[in-house]
Amino acid sequence: MFENTWNRILDWFSDRTERAKLIRSFNSSAKKSFISGEAPTLLNASISKGDRAYRHQFSNWLKTGFRIQAFSGRELSKTEIKQIGEVILNDDVLVRKMIVLGWDTLEIHGDKGMFGLKWQLKDYMALPK
Amino acid sequence: MNDTLIIDTLKSTIEVATNSKETITINYWFWIAVVEFIIITLYFTHNKKKKLLSKKELFIKNAKESEVDFGNIINSSFNVKPLYDELKTKCHPDRFPNDKIKNKIALELFQDISKNKTNYKKLMEIKEIAINKLNINF
Repeated sequence: MFENTWNRILDWFSDRTERAKLIRSFNSSAKKSFISGEAPTLLNASISKGDRAYRHQFSNWLKTGFRIQAFSGRELSKTEIKQIGEVILNDDVLVRKMIVLGWDTLEIHGDKGMFGLKWQLKDYMALPK
Repeated sequence: MNDTLIIDTLKSTIEVATNSKETITINYWFWIAVVEFIIITLYFTHNKKKKLLSKKELFIKNAKESEVDFGNIINSSFNVKPLYDELKTKCHPDRFPNDKIKNKIALELFQDISKNKTNYKKLMEIKEIAINKLNINF
């Protein structure tokens, strides 16, 4: 029993580090792509509250949203946001990693306007029972 | 007289002692069997639990060990649509109606294009194959 509790504590800390590492890697890649001109818009990932209705077995207690903000300087259209979302959701490796690290919601919005989209991650990956 | 009495009592005490020993040994073996049974059931239930957990654990392990190509994801987010549209039209199997071999290659490539329509890196690889095998000029 003690061993289990100890392992859970260790896992919790290692998951926190992994989450921060994933966000940092995403942001640094986005910055590199923007600087090199491959991407016309700068993307920035952060952790958000998430949607409680999208919870799954690996969900964290709090902060279950993976939010991507696109700094385009204009209001993004639905198709543009959908395109970014589809690319992320079609990447099985990233979706699996996000689910395991406790995220359950993917949110994408621009830096201007009030429009954004969100998806529930469990729809894009078969989870073990 | 006294000696025979002592001998008799001794005999009877020995009998009682041996009888009680037997009962004690029976109880002793019974409890060993009970403990063994408990250990075996615990062992099997523990193993069963382990097997149930293993799928979940494997899923977590695979997810954590895999590396994500963020460069490709961000590149795909903005540049994949025009590349996909271009490949979709230029590698369509209907463009090679007379050449059976090229038509077959185009069909396979077209299926790959549809499967990887949001993966810029994969589409670039397919583009290379199309240039080499189908002699398409992009």
